[in-house]
Amino acid sequence: MMDSQTKAEPMRVLVTGGSGLVGKAIEHVVKQEGGCLEGEQWTFLSSKEANLVDLQQTRAVFEKYRPTHVIHLAAKVGGLYLHMKENLHFLRDNLRINDNVLQTSHERGVTKVVSCLSSCIFPDKTTYPIDESMIHNGPPHDSNFGYSHAKRMIDIQNRGYFAQHGRHYTAVIPTNVYGPYDNFNFENGHVLSALMHKTYAAKKEGTPLQVWGSGTPRRQFIYSLDVARLFLWVLREYDEIDPIILSVGEEEELPIKDAVEMIADALDFKGQIVFDTSKSDGQMKKTASNAKLRRYLPDFTFTPLSEGIKKTCDWFVNNYDIART
Amino acid sequence: MGDRKVDQNGPMRVLVTGGTGLVGRAIEHVVKEEGGAREGEEWIFLSSKDANLMDMGETRAVFQKHQPTHIIHLAAMVGGLFKNMRANLDFWRNNIYINDNVLQAAHEVDAVRVVSCLSTCIFPDKTTYPIDETMIHNGPPHESNYGYAYAKRMIDVHNRAYHQKHGRCYTAVIPTNVFGPHDNFNIEDGHVLPGLIHKAYIAQKEGSPLVVWGSGTPRRQFIYSLDLAHLFLWVLREYHEVDPIILSVGEEDEVSIKEAAEAVVEALGFKGQVTYDTTKSDGQFKKTASNAKLLQHHPNFTFTPFKQALKQTCDWFVANYDNARKSRQTPKTPPEMDSNLRIGFIGAGNTAYGIAKGVLQPGVGGVGHPFLCRAGQ
Repeated sequence: MMDSQTKAEPMRVLVTGGSGLVGKAIEHVVKQEGGCLEGEQWTFLSSKEANLVDLQQTRAVFEKYRPTHVIHLAAKVGGLYLHMKENLHFLRDNLRINDNVLQTSHERGVTKVVSCLSSCIFPDKTTYPIDESMIHNGPPHDSNFGYSHAKRMIDIQNRGYFAQHGRHYTAVIPTNVYGPYDNFNFENGHVLSALMHKTYAAKKEGTPLQVWGSGTPRRQFIYSLDVARLFLWVLREYDEIDPIILSVGEEEELPIKDAVEMIADALDFKGQIVFDTSKSDGQMKKTASNAKLRRYLPDFTFTPLSEGIKKTCDWFVNNYDIART
Repeated sequence: MGDRKVDQNGPMRVLVTGGTGLVGRAIEHVVKEEGGAREGEEWIFLSSKDANLMDMGETRAVFQKHQPTHIIHLAAMVGGLFKNMRANLDFWRNNIYINDNVLQAAHEVDAVRVVSCLSTCIFPDKTTYPIDETMIHNGPPHESNYGYAYAKRMIDVHNRAYHQKHGRCYTAVIPTNVFGPHDNFNIEDGHVLPGLIHKAYIAQKEGSPLVVWGSGTPRRQFIYSLDLAHLFLWVLREYHEVDPIILSVGEEDEVSIKEAAEAVVEALGFKGQVTYDTTKSDGQFKKTASNAKLLQHHPNFTFTPFKQALKQTCDWFVANYDNARKSRQTPKTPPEMDSNLRIGFIGAGNTAYGIAKGVLQPGVGGVGHPFLCRAGQ
């Protein structure tokens, strides 16, 4: 079956969710780190340009940019507390976004789509470490069941598009991503970005830093620029339909408490740190195996966490006015 | 939305989607011929001719028109084993659209109840037996129909989410293998029993052997559509959980496909040879479901004995052969593939793609220009 791209043509890549945490990181790698090749065209979409929940707008934007490849990052997302309130909204909107993007890609003969899942969608009751074969092996954690089910279905659709139409659409599964351009909102942001903002505010106001939860849940954090570099590798070199986890190793997993201390260091916060245990902890662990990634890329070097946190905090302080708070 | 909402103090107005299908017709029979409806109630049986439920606009319109207080949601893209195996993507997409549209439209008109219809074929493939209602999401479904299975499972996820956000008591039932009059008797696309009935009928006419696809060893619990209809009415009126409920005969009534084929032979008086084509897929070997929850809630319900129900179905088929659904149906395409879309075939490769009619909106909200990569950047 024909693709939208002939062999001689360079790639035209459309990145949905291009103004988000991961999108901005990919843009940085493409424009500042030589991540793209001669003649390639890269378009970073934001929701201002097209609401991907709407099929007609999705089609219009694909018609405009005629991509040969798609990196699909756009989603309705949030931190733990937002998800707990809005499972219906996250379920419905993400199902629509994903179907619109995948189906429109298929209709236009897009060669490859790399979508973005998350390790938070894995089964809640499970053995550790989690690996790629386990996505559908049980119900997800109850706190974000709407988002999780919708994201899992990207994998199902990828398999369907391959079986029925021979499409090579695949997905990556990052663990907890952090970096510049994140959503730093206290209530809706992810844990590290929300904590950075809180620490910044606590320092300014001379108040204690209030951490929600006990600080004991464990996470693997991956810096957004590392995710971006790996995304480009997946786009060019990874040929499987089955998804691939993008993460630091299991030995890099650490409790939220330790990350809080790194943030305090990075922002030079000297005040008191208090843990509000009346707030939910979310999942205690989601330890993921990066063995598959290591088989393909044994030499890939991840940015150390304290360094990534420092860079992100510096960015946040310097860009406070434009940061999403 | 600013639209009319239902008067929840008035009498029940029940909308049955998929009203002309196997289960829909059975419910209609019970409502109209067996006193299943109560004084003042209105029952509306929708078919795909009334609304294409894959289209949100049409779904909303039909809900606004009828203002249902209650919905029995049966409409789906369905098929037997072989049809599913060919088109998992389509089964997934079409059913997700239908289910999302119906549940959202029901919520928007403030409908009190929706009872949707799942199936035991959606349960995890690798599992312990008997299967019960708590196990739906405990692992991947059988490979043969994963598209349909995941789409149906999602109804349960939607129900929980509507309950969490809006307090809705939308729920679902999980029948085992249903059979009865008004089924799809198409041999390639229909379910196992109607397929066998049709094949045996033809074999009898032509004096040829009855060829059963598969080994005949897989086991199933069959439930007669009229029994299911009675139970649907009970669920609509009396069952108030959001978690789904299995509607099935007991585990002890599970039969093999071979036994079912022999019962069909007996019911039709078929005298020819019966052979088994083991090159054809068997599908799942078993899906034994527990009806303990049903018995707990509704201990006095009596199922029609299998052979009696099968005889009634065969008699109906013979008497209604000309009108029975037998031919291959072309699947409906989702709405985004028709009214706003021209499908064009370009170039020698015959690639089909769709062009949205007049939808390009230049200059929407600060357009970014594509980044064109030059060497050295």
